[in-house]
Amino acid sequence: MESNIIYFYSVFFLILGSAAGIIFSPKMYMSLLSLFVLFCSSSALYFGFGANYTAIFQLILCGIVLSGYLFLLLKKIGTMDLKLKLNSVGKIIVSSMTVAVLGVLFLLFFVEEFENSLYEVFNFVQEKSFDAINFVANIFPLHLVIIFVFVSAIVLRVFLSGLNPNNEEQN
Amino acid sequence: MNVFFNIGLLHYLVLSFLLFLTGLLGVLISRNMLRVLMSVLIMTISVVINFLTFGFYCDRSLENANIISVLVLIIAVIQIFIGLVILYKINSSNEFLDSEKTKDKES
Repeated sequence: MESNIIYFYSVFFLILGSAAGIIFSPKMYMSLLSLFVLFCSSSALYFGFGANYTAIFQLILCGIVLSGYLFLLLKKIGTMDLKLKLNSVGKIIVSSMTVAVLGVLFLLFFVEEFENSLYEVFNFVQEKSFDAINFVANIFPLHLVIIFVFVSAIVLRVFLSGLNPNNEEQN
Repeated sequence: MNVFFNIGLLHYLVLSFLLFLTGLLGVLISRNMLRVLMSVLIMTISVVINFLTFGFYCDRSLENANIISVLVLIIAVIQIFIGLVILYKINSSNEFLDSEKTKDKES
């Protein structure tokens, strides 16, 4: 029981700390490092749930591939040491107040309504979407998604460079 | 004090919401476009935590939660990759990371 509490709170503070690190770290490479820590710690949380598939998937796709790609990109354009730039003070104050209001609304909702309505709402949604979820589970085609990624990458490349692939061969 | 030590659905939802708020704050206050994209990723992770929490506490089998979470992650990563490519193509100098300067250039 105690280990469960320690596990939860260590992951809790690790995730929130790394998320804050992404936004407020003074240099860009620290931000990237925080992103990597965020992926690892959230994967640890998923392992705690027993969602091993999602955890491994996130570790590989986000932790290794995306972080590696970002690292190479930052290195290529030489922005590893880019300093932190925030908006003007007025915008920061307004944004912080918006976020604080949202937080207060959320807390009020949980204090007042958590035991009454949240489970009911979730059960309602789950019942109504059960057929749809089964349908998705049966037809979920991972290989199609991968093919779509490649196709969209090719289309994007052609669109952005203003060429079609045949032009390159002609040139 | 008992609330803090009986770990349950509420704790994970609070974690998820705090993470979402952090991501939202990052999107709103950061001038660096790359950090904005990373903040969007933070919000996506909070959504995935929400799915898995409900899957664990209300479904137990976690099959549906796993499927939806993986789908959300794939879409998020594709979105980030496409965003990075577009940013890189807009301007490959150091300035492209600053959203304000890019806005000035466009105007």
